[in-house]
Amino acid sequence: MKTRSITIYVNGEAYSLNVAVNRTLLQVLREDLGMPDTKYGCGTGECGACTVLIDGKKSILACLSLAVLMDGAKITTVAGLETEGKLHPVQEAFVNEGAIQCGYCTPGMVMKSVSILAKYPKPTEEDIRRELEGNICRCTGYVKIVQAIQKAGDALASTC
Amino acid sequence: MSEFSVIGKRLPKVDAQEKVVGRSVFAADLDLPGMLYGKIVRCLKYAHAKVTKLDLSEAAKVPGVVKVLAPGDVSSKEYNTGVLDLLVPMGDLADQYLFTGWVKHQGDAIAGIIAKTEEAAERAAEKVIVEYEPLPVYLTAEESMKPDAIQFHPEKPGNRACTLPDQMPNNAYGWGDVDEAFKNADIIVEDTFYVPKVKQCQMEPHAYVALYDDRGRLNCWTSTQMPKLVQAKLSRFFNLPMNQVKINQTTVGGGFGSRLGMVAEPETCAMAMAVRGRPVKVQYLREEDWIASESRHPGKYWMKMGFKNDGTPVACDAKFISYKGGYYTHGSGVVFTTGSWLIGMYKFGACRYKGETYYTNQAPSGAYRGYGNPQTNWAMEQMVDRACAKLGIDPVEWRLKWHKAVGDDSSILGMPYKSCGLDACLNEGAETFGWKEKRQRYANQLGAKRRGIGVAVMNHCSNASPFLLEHTACTIKMNQDATAEVISNCSDLGTGGHTALQQIAAESLGLRMEDVHMKVQDSDAAGFDIGAHASRTVHMGGWAIIEAAEKVKATILERAAKHFEINVEDLVINDKKIHPKGSPDLFIEMKTICDQGISNFVDFSTGKTIGVPGQIVEHSSHFAAHNAPPFAATFVEVEVDTETGELKLIEAVTAHDIGRAIHPPSVEGQLEGGFQQGAGMAMMEETYYDKNGLCLNSNFTDYKMLGPSDMPKVKIILVEEPDPVSPYGAKSCGESGLVTPTGAVANAVFNAIGVQISEGPITPEKILMAIKEKDGAF
Amino acid sequence: MSSRILPEFDLLVPQSIPEAVEMLSKYQDKAAVLAGGTDLLVLMKSGLKVPYIVSLSEVPGLDYVLYDPNDGLRIGAMATLAQVADNADIKKNYAALWESAAVNGTPQTRNRATVVGNILRASPAGDCCAAALALGGKVVLQGAAGKREVDIDNFWVAYRTTARQAFEFAVEYKIPANVGKSAFIRMTRADQDLSKLNAAVCLNMSGNVCQGARLAIGCVAPTTVRMKKAEEILKGKEITDSVLKEVEEAVKGEVTPIDDVRSSAWYRKEVSGILMKRTIQKACA
Repeated sequence: MKTRSITIYVNGEAYSLNVAVNRTLLQVLREDLGMPDTKYGCGTGECGACTVLIDGKKSILACLSLAVLMDGAKITTVAGLETEGKLHPVQEAFVNEGAIQCGYCTPGMVMKSVSILAKYPKPTEEDIRRELEGNICRCTGYVKIVQAIQKAGDALASTC
Repeated sequence: MSEFSVIGKRLPKVDAQEKVVGRSVFAADLDLPGMLYGKIVRCLKYAHAKVTKLDLSEAAKVPGVVKVLAPGDVSSKEYNTGVLDLLVPMGDLADQYLFTGWVKHQGDAIAGIIAKTEEAAERAAEKVIVEYEPLPVYLTAEESMKPDAIQFHPEKPGNRACTLPDQMPNNAYGWGDVDEAFKNADIIVEDTFYVPKVKQCQMEPHAYVALYDDRGRLNCWTSTQMPKLVQAKLSRFFNLPMNQVKINQTTVGGGFGSRLGMVAEPETCAMAMAVRGRPVKVQYLREEDWIASESRHPGKYWMKMGFKNDGTPVACDAKFISYKGGYYTHGSGVVFTTGSWLIGMYKFGACRYKGETYYTNQAPSGAYRGYGNPQTNWAMEQMVDRACAKLGIDPVEWRLKWHKAVGDDSSILGMPYKSCGLDACLNEGAETFGWKEKRQRYANQLGAKRRGIGVAVMNHCSNASPFLLEHTACTIKMNQDATAEVISNCSDLGTGGHTALQQIAAESLGLRMEDVHMKVQDSDAAGFDIGAHASRTVHMGGWAIIEAAEKVKATILERAAKHFEINVEDLVINDKKIHPKGSPDLFIEMKTICDQGISNFVDFSTGKTIGVPGQIVEHSSHFAAHNAPPFAATFVEVEVDTETGELKLIEAVTAHDIGRAIHPPSVEGQLEGGFQQGAGMAMMEETYYDKNGLCLNSNFTDYKMLGPSDMPKVKIILVEEPDPVSPYGAKSCGESGLVTPTGAVANAVFNAIGVQISEGPITPEKILMAIKEKDGAF
Repeated sequence: MSSRILPEFDLLVPQSIPEAVEMLSKYQDKAAVLAGGTDLLVLMKSGLKVPYIVSLSEVPGLDYVLYDPNDGLRIGAMATLAQVADNADIKKNYAALWESAAVNGTPQTRNRATVVGNILRASPAGDCCAAALALGGKVVLQGAAGKREVDIDNFWVAYRTTARQAFEFAVEYKIPANVGKSAFIRMTRADQDLSKLNAAVCLNMSGNVCQGARLAIGCVAPTTVRMKKAEEILKGKEITDSVLKEVEEAVKGEVTPIDDVRSSAWYRKEVSGILMKRTIQKACA
């Protein structure tokens, strides 16, 4: 087949599309759905700028996912993290800890951080650094990003 | 209790919110009506070749293709993507073309395709028929300077793109007579250091949108660091009046010098000119970054230093021969500045620096954070430590004794330092790092794993004066409600520049942060500014704002004086109210004055004038009266596995002479990020080429950088000794963070294994080789 | 070639194993099998043109990771590295495989990349390849004629070439029970990286005595290879410092690495023995 009809759920909304089989989820999100919040950084799986979540917690790379094989998938992008205009604790922590400089890696970095905390509710610094691999930041040296994830973890833990 | 209301506060950056929700707009995010997609077709097969046949007819037939552009289409003029030609008359060469018939590096642009979809443009690119006549490839200055080498440009014999000006005796600068001075040295250390070709690797790939609209205006959306200069360049290139060129600076996803000028604005704008009325978007592939945008200047840095037995530095002689890549771009820049931070560092009895750069068949070398300083640090700091080791002197003690300070000639001969916090940086840094204790602890180690500690110091600048034009203009416009629009073309590359400038504006206007709006990123609105380079944004942008703010306050006070019918000197502004000294309850609000000036200056019942009519809009043009060099010291602890050569970073402390941290989280962030780049340059970053000049690692798979698990614990110490000539005492930090880690990591390795590795980057392969050559004497 | 745009291809999405087999029988080497996609899509972005892609994503029942203390371990074609890294039984009983899966790639790629895919990729730098060669086991292939099994020792026939025929697809990788103590170590430039050198061992220990060993090393030959001479040295011996020294020298003498962008032939040779020694020590710890 050269095209396929799919329905994907992005940030809670259903989108039904007819997509060419060679289009990645990244292209579909950014171009077909007009959602540029997920970024292209390298296209080959190294930089993590295109990181989105499946089922709210599993991190995958949109640049290496064929959109037509994501039928039925429940995808969260960074634009879907806010609830009623209130930032997600990870977003809040990134802002407050100064973990954002140029902001280009931020969408992928935030999504990855959410997935890290979903798996490791009380992560050690080693857990955080190890799990952050696959998301490249060239501005921060990762210092304040690690601090932000620790703070977000504390915040999430205290609201449980 | 701070003396300031907003300066020094750890508040969230002004752009943090939109970035954290993914709504900040990068150029690639733009989707304009009728938008087309441009693809720059590049020569990927050869690093040096003449195009003997170019046939775009098959490409033009691909469904969706709107237009194809060959060399000479739209314009056959030369240009220079760098900006130095606008800032200093150094005979910079314009030797670049939109699309070339003479490929000078792999990745050189040979044609353009405009199509309705990105995919169509991509398919069409595959159908371009091109034949080449390969030419000899030169990958080092040594190769291209040979007499029989092909000359890259008729005006540059011997392929020497630039050397120091002839006005300088022997094309060198410095002081004293080094040859004489060396005769008095008890010891001499000498070596040639290899600086690798490292890449900025900003996370936002280059992307542009351009539109030649129905008013004949060329609109370009770009994340250039220098919007006003790019406006001037495009105006000249396309023969358009300046007011017909509009630069919309999109969110800059990292600069680090990669955008210090133009990258592909010319090609994108040319495509827009070819399809008037339709926006054209060009998006770089990540793999194009290494082969079609500028890097640091690599090359061979020879250095010789002479010392007395007591450590007195008697002479320093240095020459940096760099590889320019295929085009001139920043040719006159780094060749010069590299030596300035050398001469600005230590009290050598005599000092001499020479710099040259030669064309090679690689993507051009241009601007990368530090602009010659990391290269100097890499060589200079290793040489100092070599001497200290020979003389049995503690490297921190030596630097404390011999670094230049207040009153000494700075990196600019004839201009003395007015402030220097380096003593505090060295002392506090050494204390926090545990220098003395670690030096003792690691003096006699056994076992295969060896720890080592190293220190490096630097000086940098807070603007580009007196070398380059320095000018920043600012307009402050007061609204009716006394909120302020600060109109500026200063750039924020993620550095926090706009946040710091907004803080400066609020503080100097006596307003809250939320009362100030920075109107930026629009070349139509704001006046001149060079752009973000030379770590100048806070210094120049800050002074321009302060000067305009002072005028605003003066006007407000004048109008209040009229209102109270007293002298201006007898009034104070406090909390947006103006009142006579000693009578805080008798006030007029700032907003009343502003409002009266705009729309409430007539009493309609009496017809009389109320207040002073006229909107309060004040303008400043700041020219740098001074430079304000910051200093820093970085301490690094490493661990070397002597069986495998593997190198691990354990801890780092950077103490930075910031003067005053306007926005401390941004200062820390800049230094932390700079560490990742500087240590990366020391340990693992290099762009590799095969013998034909084809890049072997133009991707993140094989251009490796320090990741979160590779980074050590990093502690930043901000030494705040306010600088007398800087806005609120603040010196720069934007580039500094990258400089000292290069020397500090190298020195730590030296301390661990007793051998210096002069060829960067210091990989495990080189460490192990060095250890083996030392007969594994551990 | 473009990291933003994939070449065109015809996608086939079988809904069952028989259907997948039928498609492969029809298209053979005109088809590539898509599992996790983290290798195939990257290759395609680098210029690989494949007319047909057979995706396994909608074939049910391929993502299993089944451990039985008597029967051993069975890993289905679609089982991801993340599934293996999250599996306590594998961590305990097949430590080399667990470690290789836990460090290969990134958390995002591990959520998609498969163990079987890593084995099929047949890169001499493959982390799971090193572990698999040390642990032993078989790759189960399925074609129109039915299933067949190939010993891992015979699976990689040349650089990036496996024993899989174009009309078959790999359904499973399986390892017997009680293979022994194992470990995996790799060396990289940065932490997140392709290996410049990797090693895995599996030791059949009887008290302090090594009854048999499988020593696998990658990045030193066109495929991952076993260090047979070194294995012989260990056989029937206590693992002492001097025995390890012998192993170290044997490995160093046996490997034939090349220069590439990640490391040099000299370095790989120099360090290979030490890496193997450390991997053995890790397995025994």
